[in-house]
Amino acid sequence: MNCNYRHYSEACFLFHDLTGQVYMAKEIETGEIVALKKIRMDNEREGFPITAIREIKILKKLHHENVIKLKEIVTSTGPEKGEQAAPDGNKYKGGIYMVFEYMDHDLTGLADRPGMRFSVPQIKCYMRQLLTGLHYCHVNQVLHRDIKGSNLLIDNEGNLKLADFGLARSFSSDHNANLTNRVITLWYRPPELLLGTTKYGPAVDMWSVGCIFAELLNGKPIFPGKDEPEQLNKIFDICGTPSEEIWPGVSKIPWYNNFKPSRLVKRRLREQFRHFDRHALDLLDRMLTLDPSQRISAKDALDAEYFWTDPLPCDPKSLPTYESSHEFQTKKKRQQQRQHDENAKRQKLQHQQQHSRLPPIQQSGHGHAQMRPGPNPPLHGSQPQAAGVPSHHYSKPRGPSAGPGRYPPSGNPSGGYNHPNRGGGSGGGGYGSGPYPPQGRAPPYSSSGAMPGGGPRGGGGSGYGSAGPNYPHGGPYGASGAGRGSNMGNRNQQYNWQQ
Amino acid sequence: MLTGGGETQHHQPRLSEPTHLEPSTTPRVLTILSYVLEKLVSRNDQLSLGGGAGKSLSAFHGVRPPAISLDKYVERIYKYTSCSPSCFVVGFVYIDRVVHKYPDSLVVSLNVHRLLVTSVMLASKILDDVHYNNAFYARVGGVSNAELNKLELELLFLLDFRVSVSSRVFESYCQHLEKEMLCNGAIEKPLTITNTIDDVTEISVEDTQTSSPPQLVDS
Repeated sequence: MNCNYRHYSEACFLFHDLTGQVYMAKEIETGEIVALKKIRMDNEREGFPITAIREIKILKKLHHENVIKLKEIVTSTGPEKGEQAAPDGNKYKGGIYMVFEYMDHDLTGLADRPGMRFSVPQIKCYMRQLLTGLHYCHVNQVLHRDIKGSNLLIDNEGNLKLADFGLARSFSSDHNANLTNRVITLWYRPPELLLGTTKYGPAVDMWSVGCIFAELLNGKPIFPGKDEPEQLNKIFDICGTPSEEIWPGVSKIPWYNNFKPSRLVKRRLREQFRHFDRHALDLLDRMLTLDPSQRISAKDALDAEYFWTDPLPCDPKSLPTYESSHEFQTKKKRQQQRQHDENAKRQKLQHQQQHSRLPPIQQSGHGHAQMRPGPNPPLHGSQPQAAGVPSHHYSKPRGPSAGPGRYPPSGNPSGGYNHPNRGGGSGGGGYGSGPYPPQGRAPPYSSSGAMPGGGPRGGGGSGYGSAGPNYPHGGPYGASGAGRGSNMGNRNQQYNWQQ
Repeated sequence: MLTGGGETQHHQPRLSEPTHLEPSTTPRVLTILSYVLEKLVSRNDQLSLGGGAGKSLSAFHGVRPPAISLDKYVERIYKYTSCSPSCFVVGFVYIDRVVHKYPDSLVVSLNVHRLLVTSVMLASKILDDVHYNNAFYARVGGVSNAELNKLELELLFLLDFRVSVSSRVFESYCQHLEKEMLCNGAIEKPLTITNTIDDVTEISVEDTQTSSPPQLVDS
């Protein structure tokens, strides 16, 4: 299994994120297309990045159809082709790559495609897969901590998989451990983290799911805050201001007093999104519940009426396939076309079977595998490949800061959603002048030294502290390596007995 | 190989705490562990007299055994890195996983030090919320930063990145270590090594070169 990088042909540079590069390549022996993510090894003092070890550890534990599959970890021997990775350090000097199954799209990229409009069964299908994958993670005591559209990968068979476990970690069910609150991309970050809690659980991921759900229905992000105070403002504006009545214990959260709203706002989520269908609104209401202990769990969300009323979630395979434009795929187009026609026929038959019964919730991997044309189908061999725009979001990096570009303040030049409510609702203006301290003045956010524990993640200057309010975590395959928090804790500085 | 001298003052702050420790406060598991490893090594040294210790662990091999004994080495790592004692058990699990995966590999006196410092460092990275970086472990372990990085990577690949140790497995290893100790009627020898260690600020398990001053990899 421990095969060498040479077995992959480096075919296409996919994207570059803050902490690494992701390449698309083909496994020479099997022809399977994979994504290679390079692990950054440039901090000699730290050695193999702990974030990468953590990510690998977690991914090795998780095996689920809605979780990205880490196939293996390989090394390249560097520029000298054909040379064996000698034990004299060549392995280290070359690159270390995580090899993932290749996915054609991510949810954000797909949603951003010109003219794209998701159908209701399609949204239900994606949401159910997202919740199924997340439920699996939570059952296995893993918090994802960076759920957002660009980390939800979608292949051309309609399968959705959670990716980028670079911020994920195991949790114990008693919630007693102190965890860092500097996780989750700002727009999808729950109020308890924004208020500085360090004891949290799976509910943080469920808030992000709620944000994505609303975004799918709404056609644009619902809480596009510029910084933490504005983020809380936007949340309170729609979900109401927190109080001990609706959220027992909220006043004890570390930074509650820094952000305590001066005026009370009533929850108006249902009014804001009254155009959503009733079951969708019921579910969203329970996902975007301020009090994490009352927020709906992934398991309960899967049982929500929404997924069991007409129109039912569609079968992933019945979804339209969207074009990918990676060069070597188009080269293969012609020879794949024939194979595709055959597969399409078979798939058509199977779709009919699938639609004739109620879709099982949390369907297992086995059930899914049976639906596939063969025991070991070519992963990407059966899709029509035509030139077009790749819908990977990472071709145009976007963190929250890229928001304005993606969602022009006026008009809708890219087509996209034609929603009646578009443009209304939560505009950016006006919130900055609210009762909250402006960005930078709020002490908890301004320096990494204020982080609880002052542990490994705090120091080093390359961690969250210096990243500003937004953490564009880059590409969906995750970004392990430097920058996700240095391990140079206080102890090192204190006891550095060599300087 | 010891180089004391001018370095002494630099380690003063972090020596203050450990010197207050009574020898008996050294966790018993460390004593057991060095005993078990020593026993394994002396047996394997006999076995490998003819052949060598297998290719899989070649990266961990030195030219000749380091001067520092294993129990002192364990003590030293524990003392300077303040890693939790369980890191030694988990490190032992890693070593055990590797030798089971590559039956031709033998833990011998030529590789046991490097195996130990690498596996304990990795375990600490995984287990401890606060831990020292590779550069620090390299100084404690007497290898260069670059070499330790290389060994870490080597170990990760030998383990196939299987670095998780369940609590069940952890406990079974603890029991195993305990049993080893009892079966062999080993008495709990008092740890007389603590004092000698205090004098040692620099060690090296790198005997390949007899170059005079030890290179400081990280300026």
